[in-house]
Amino acid sequence: MKSIQLRVNGQSVERDIPDNTLLIDLLRNGLDLTGTKEGCSVGVCGACTVLLDGQPVSSCLTLAVTANGCAVTTIEGLSEGHRLHPLQKAFIDYGGFQCGICTPGQIMSAKALLDENPRPSKDEIQNWMMGNLCRCTGYYKIIESIQAVADGKVAS
Amino acid sequence: MASLVSVGRPAGHVEGPSKVTGQARYTADIRLPGLLYGKCLRSPFPHARIVSIDTAPAKALAGVHAVITGADLPNRRIGRFFLDKPVLARDVVRFVGEKVVAVAAESMDIAEEALTRIAVEYDALPAVFDPVEAMQENAPRVHTDTSAYTHPPVPDFVHPGDDRLYPDIPNVVSQVFYTHGDVEAGFAQATREFTHTFTVPPVHQGYIEPHASVVQIEPDGKVNLWLSNKTPFVARSQFAAALDVTEDRVCVNTAPIGGDFGGKGSLMDSVVCYHLAAAAGRPVKMVMTYTEELSAGNPRHPAVITLRTGVDANARIVARQARLVFSCGAYSAFTPLHTVHGSVHAAGPYRMPNVEIEVFRVYTNTVPAGHMRAPGAPQIVFGVESHMDLIARELGLDPLEFRLRNTLVEGDAAPLGEKWKKIRCKETLEAAAREAGWDTEKATHRGRGIGMYDREPGAFGPSSATLSIAADATLTLMTGAADTGTGSYTVLQQVVAQELQLPLESVRVVQGNTDSAHWEVGAGGSRLTHMAGQATLAAVRELKAGLTALAARHMESPREQVTYEAGAFVNTNGQRLALPRLMTALADREELPLRYTGEYVAEDPVEVTSFCAQIAEVAVDPATGQVTLKKLTTAHDVGTILNPLTHQGQVEGGAVQGVGHALTEHLIVQDGAVTNVHLGDYKLPTAMDIPELKTVLVKSDAGPAPYAGKAIGEHSNVAVPAAVANAVFDAVGVRLMDLPVTAEKVYAALREKNSVVKSGA
Repeated sequence: MKSIQLRVNGQSVERDIPDNTLLIDLLRNGLDLTGTKEGCSVGVCGACTVLLDGQPVSSCLTLAVTANGCAVTTIEGLSEGHRLHPLQKAFIDYGGFQCGICTPGQIMSAKALLDENPRPSKDEIQNWMMGNLCRCTGYYKIIESIQAVADGKVAS
Repeated sequence: MASLVSVGRPAGHVEGPSKVTGQARYTADIRLPGLLYGKCLRSPFPHARIVSIDTAPAKALAGVHAVITGADLPNRRIGRFFLDKPVLARDVVRFVGEKVVAVAAESMDIAEEALTRIAVEYDALPAVFDPVEAMQENAPRVHTDTSAYTHPPVPDFVHPGDDRLYPDIPNVVSQVFYTHGDVEAGFAQATREFTHTFTVPPVHQGYIEPHASVVQIEPDGKVNLWLSNKTPFVARSQFAAALDVTEDRVCVNTAPIGGDFGGKGSLMDSVVCYHLAAAAGRPVKMVMTYTEELSAGNPRHPAVITLRTGVDANARIVARQARLVFSCGAYSAFTPLHTVHGSVHAAGPYRMPNVEIEVFRVYTNTVPAGHMRAPGAPQIVFGVESHMDLIARELGLDPLEFRLRNTLVEGDAAPLGEKWKKIRCKETLEAAAREAGWDTEKATHRGRGIGMYDREPGAFGPSSATLSIAADATLTLMTGAADTGTGSYTVLQQVVAQELQLPLESVRVVQGNTDSAHWEVGAGGSRLTHMAGQATLAAVRELKAGLTALAARHMESPREQVTYEAGAFVNTNGQRLALPRLMTALADREELPLRYTGEYVAEDPVEVTSFCAQIAEVAVDPATGQVTLKKLTTAHDVGTILNPLTHQGQVEGGAVQGVGHALTEHLIVQDGAVTNVHLGDYKLPTAMDIPELKTVLVKSDAGPAPYAGKAIGEHSNVAVPAAVANAVFDAVGVRLMDLPVTAEKVYAALREKNSVVKSGA
């Protein structure tokens, strides 16, 4: 067992957890933050993407103890009350999701991209987003959604 | 008709906010007090007798609440149509991945630990993996006695043939014929004959949400079930049959579905989950890992497709004979009733007077196959459209020209005799060719290839919809149909808003569970916009009729003098009463809630189909065989598009699934076991793998959905593999007869071609 302290979506969290606890299980089972989804469980599909100190990680491959002392942002931490983050709004308006299972991971990856590079080219978006699989959209509208935010077309 | 204010405009998904914020709770996200986690031990053998099972050490593990084997369960088999699959294996295992023992424990870790403490002794049996080999007299029998397996009667389909279930051929589940004309007489007229055989491996649906099930049993025995299933009412019937209880003892609850593509229409783990919950006396959740999905889900049927075609001196097709062999795996429980529907496309959208299609579905010791987006069609169309290209090349004709000579045109009967109205086959192909620049020059090692397909909007089963005005005067549409991500909730919302001339956001849409919603077949076969759309129209008619009477009373006018126009009731004096005002008035007088239900069954067969023509442009690296899909043109014959945003989403998502099927996807089966068992090895297309996509819409004005709409969900994925394979031939002159079109295969074919050229020189 290990004692860890972290901030999740701005809230302080303290937990005693077994060393082998995965970050995704801490979030989903320990904190009931089920917006983070588990798809492939091997760090390929990107559905479980969260931000660890601002960097996108696969929470299914990340031991929760490595988040000790860090800030974790999940999809639940993006909107402010009922006000959607521009990426969230864009994914609705531009058809960036269908079934929605990969969407939290897509949006978290896109947020990490725009935080680092607010005006990415289409190629840069495509390249960055290749770690997030989507089986519904064929990616075109995901790219359009992110491009729309980058181009300032979407107000929050 | 009033102008289209909601229908025809792009609308984001009505359930969008819950999905983009992470609030939507999918089945795997459900938490209940006392919830246990279930897990199954699966067979490592493709075919073996179970000699003994020792579960005692697993039962002794702290935190384990139930351990069950097939011997603990009633001897009932389950399935969608064919009931041939045991819940847990009894005596014999028939594929690698078959469930043998199930445990329920306090945590997933404990459940997995318990599985390692179970000892099963097997006695291996001879196994068969290839469906054609399985049909030989000396083949091992996957099932030695099928007499106890039950199935509903074979329905009288559009093309009734001489259908046989369990005919006297080894391992064959069904043998179905579709015939039209006289195929031998047709071949007698032919000046040239061509025969080719194609193979298509199994592929996975690739939804990102693995199957999940949650079962909670109430003290009175009523079962609450959540599962990743797109047809809750059908699931209820199957689940109740599996438990041998009446349907009212089961409630299938709603949860968003994380991708379907045909694969989420079975009970999957839910029945074993029930038995664990019953044994443990606590609710149980089971979530498949993606490894379990890839090795033991319900993939698309692998197929062996042999096509024989006769053409006359004018390059017109005079006869087509098809022999289609599908492997359904070890059980037929996930498969369509008596055939694989796409088989009817073995003739393609071409004029041909004489057709004979023979379809076999065959047991093998492999993972049971199921439905996937246009079941059967992507396999068949890969064969048909590659065959068309091969014939064109042999005849020295341009593949476009050969197709244009044979495409259906207005007034033609389709190959199996259907009399489609408003045939737009040629127009769609010509539109695709124009957009793709078919006749323009190509760089070296670049090629273009065509694929064609047609599919009619789905029409089977009843649909229903209920409009209610709640006590607070809000308007809600309740559907029993799950939205698998296609945007069906949103289309239904648009229909209500359109008919009542109200803003979209004033119409809530909810999916009712099987206790609260009216019976509804659900999603599948591209039917919802048509069938649930028409049921919603019917509900609106009921609501208008009911409210007109109430409005007349409110306006103190005779009922026959009140009509509904542009969002308000209007009497002959020109007095207007807006619908929201009437609803508020009814609320004030405590005359709410009110409910109006519409139902719809398509009495007649659908009279129109939708054509799709696709042209792929590839670049092939002759040094490595690497194929790059540069551009894909997808042309569709469409009716009124109710929601352009989600319609285009279907076109794009389907097209990229077709790209995966064409180039990378393949469940690799060795000695019966799937060997690429995670998404690192099973290659779904990524954002870097998508081609430039050109969509062309050929507008038509006929369709059975509201406002003359058609269907789009199962069109754009189907012909892509053939278009790509044909483009590869066009680019470098090698022909692949099996999917996917990998660099390795193209490289090997190029080497063989070059060595033939050299040795011939």
